[in-house]
Amino acid sequence: MKRTFNYTGRQKIKREKISINLIRQNDKVVSFVVNKLDIDDLSLPDDAKVYVEAYYRTELKRFDFWTVNNRSVPMSCDLTDLAYPDNLKFRVVVVNPSDSKILAHADKITPEVPTDRKPILPVEFRDMGNEIWRVEYEGNEDAPILCINNRIPNIQNIAKQDPQFLIYVYPVVIREILTRMVFVDGVDSLTGPSIEWHGDWLRFIIKLGVEFPETLNKNDEYFDKEEALEWINRVVEAFCNTHRNKFYEYVKKLEEVP
Amino acid sequence: MIQLRIMLPEGEEEFRKYIHALRQNSRAPYPNLNAEPYSKECSFHVEVGETEVFRLKEDLAKYLDDTFKKYSVTREDVISAGKGLWTWLAYIWVDQLTNNKQNILKRDEHYICTDPSNYRRYYIHLVAPPYIIYSRYKECQQPIWKLFLYNPPWEINDFTERVAANQFLISHPNVIEAIYHLYFDENSNRPKTNATSRNVRGNVRRFIKVFQHLELTYDMYSLESQQIIDLLPDEFNAWK
Repeated sequence: MKRTFNYTGRQKIKREKISINLIRQNDKVVSFVVNKLDIDDLSLPDDAKVYVEAYYRTELKRFDFWTVNNRSVPMSCDLTDLAYPDNLKFRVVVVNPSDSKILAHADKITPEVPTDRKPILPVEFRDMGNEIWRVEYEGNEDAPILCINNRIPNIQNIAKQDPQFLIYVYPVVIREILTRMVFVDGVDSLTGPSIEWHGDWLRFIIKLGVEFPETLNKNDEYFDKEEALEWINRVVEAFCNTHRNKFYEYVKKLEEVP
Repeated sequence: MIQLRIMLPEGEEEFRKYIHALRQNSRAPYPNLNAEPYSKECSFHVEVGETEVFRLKEDLAKYLDDTFKKYSVTREDVISAGKGLWTWLAYIWVDQLTNNKQNILKRDEHYICTDPSNYRRYYIHLVAPPYIIYSRYKECQQPIWKLFLYNPPWEINDFTERVAANQFLISHPNVIEAIYHLYFDENSNRPKTNATSRNVRGNVRRFIKVFQHLELTYDMYSLESQQIIDLLPDEFNAWK
């Protein structure tokens, strides 16, 4: 479980209290809208300043959303002067105007995608030298992103359609992510974990039909390391079983080779 | 003059081999990579001089900035062109970037640009960061880009590797201005002596560590550079 020290009383704005969408024209990101920014449950002075920042790597742009009790949308949330607009993340900061201390914040907010299309494992294609793939934990609350090397010819189609890619890569990816969830982050609740992406993955596993151990919280007295590892194996096995046709297809091709 | 090109993977590989060969033999033959499959023409029409001479990184950065402006290419379009652009520029200016083959740096990433997603390695390239930093900060009242661009184009720069490679720091001009005030000597046009030394109190590495604590509490974006300096503890007094 992550430990944090919060000597200054800085409050965290929960992820579900924020909703941001990108606006596109001709498939190019031009601006953003804040559909929801609910900070009413936090103890904040009325005159505290509210800012929303869009950033990626060294690109950063701040937008003034005025004050806690008088929030208004800026004249323009234009993003056209930023490089890499498709990769932008957002940060919300509430600041005490008298001493510039941060009173509340949320970071690494990714824009919303339509719910029925929301992937639990986004894929990004990057130059990764001689590495084929790896999982980076760069999403909201360090959610996983599968990074695949864009130097491989036709990799986007291969990643989507090639059965070999699916049966070689995804089981390992799933095992790694679940190991991280359980043994690094810690899953504090099986029904309503505090980390949103844990919840997305647990719902995915429910659909696979795999039963859960009593707890996946490594700090719980009933947590059993061997049981958790065995559970991860069963999840991977269940995933492979749902794609058994790909496996049969692959084996058949090998058998056909003289 | 030559039309701007983008280095492709095959060209990158050949350029890498050339750099490796140069380290063994300064007379290694220069490969011709100005044709497919090694490189392709850039989508925007810009011509650059192959024989330009840059005394300092600042000169290289200004040259690129002026050139792109002349052809009405925006900064966003330049950065979005990708790492192949910077690798190709390093290829045509390799003599400049190796001090006529007398100073060839050990890491290939100084010449072969990595993906910006790998930002720590991206910022050690000898062409991309000078342009990106200069174009970002050229309008500032103080010439804060000099921190990163004061030395010859073939040399590495501690401020670039420590400060510019930190995404949060480099995206806040007020912070860079504070660092400039603390550590840059405008009389000599170079950083103050021992500014990057580990053994000296209040050096820039310490500034980064202290800053990372301060940013948890304060909205550093909204502070003026002098306010940031005023927040620093006594160990930085000698630099103020």
